[in-house]
Amino acid sequence: MRNRLKVLRAERDWSQADLAERLGVSRQTINAIETGKYDPSLPLAFSLARLFEQSLESVFTPDPPADAAPSP
Amino acid sequence: MSSKPERIDRETAIIIGLGVVWILLYFGVRFYLEANPGLDRGVRLGLAFVPTPIFALFLWRFVKGVRSADELERRIQLEALAVAFPLGLLLLTTLGLVQRAVELNFQDWSYNHVFPYFMLFYIVGVALARKRYT
Repeated sequence: MRNRLKVLRAERDWSQADLAERLGVSRQTINAIETGKYDPSLPLAFSLARLFEQSLESVFTPDPPADAAPSP
Repeated sequence: MSSKPERIDRETAIIIGLGVVWILLYFGVRFYLEANPGLDRGVRLGLAFVPTPIFALFLWRFVKGVRSADELERRIQLEALAVAFPLGLLLLTTLGLVQRAVELNFQDWSYNHVFPYFMLFYIVGVALARKRYT
């Protein structure tokens, strides 16, 4: 799953630690989500979207299926 | 820092502290039993259970710590145990079969020698999971 966390965070000039503190999680969790190593739970994903005042779909987008046809 | 990560750090320190106390008690009792083979059987058995309450406390705090950890840490702990438990099972079953096949040397493969491997498996599991997510 891809996400726009890094961009949204940069727009607000927040560090990973700042975001982690606002969400009550560790900085490692934010880093793992940003780098795509970990997909957050639904409650955490909603908390992130709410914090950035965005819809869930605008923060997180699913990876395209592996067998998807390439766009023209 | 939020209160949650601070609480987790304090919790981790308590868990490690209890683990150290348990290990010290274990080796204290073990060496005492080895040094005093003439003790009454009941006393020896009673001494063998001395570390158990501390371990029960350690287990309680460990589970409590995992429950209060953030979701990535819970995932790491789950994956660490998913590695450690089957490896522990493999070790015991293989040793059981080897024991059927040949006579194992009690001085090398008693319970006292096997339990550190369980700790090693857990540490390997945590290291693998952390490498995956950080």
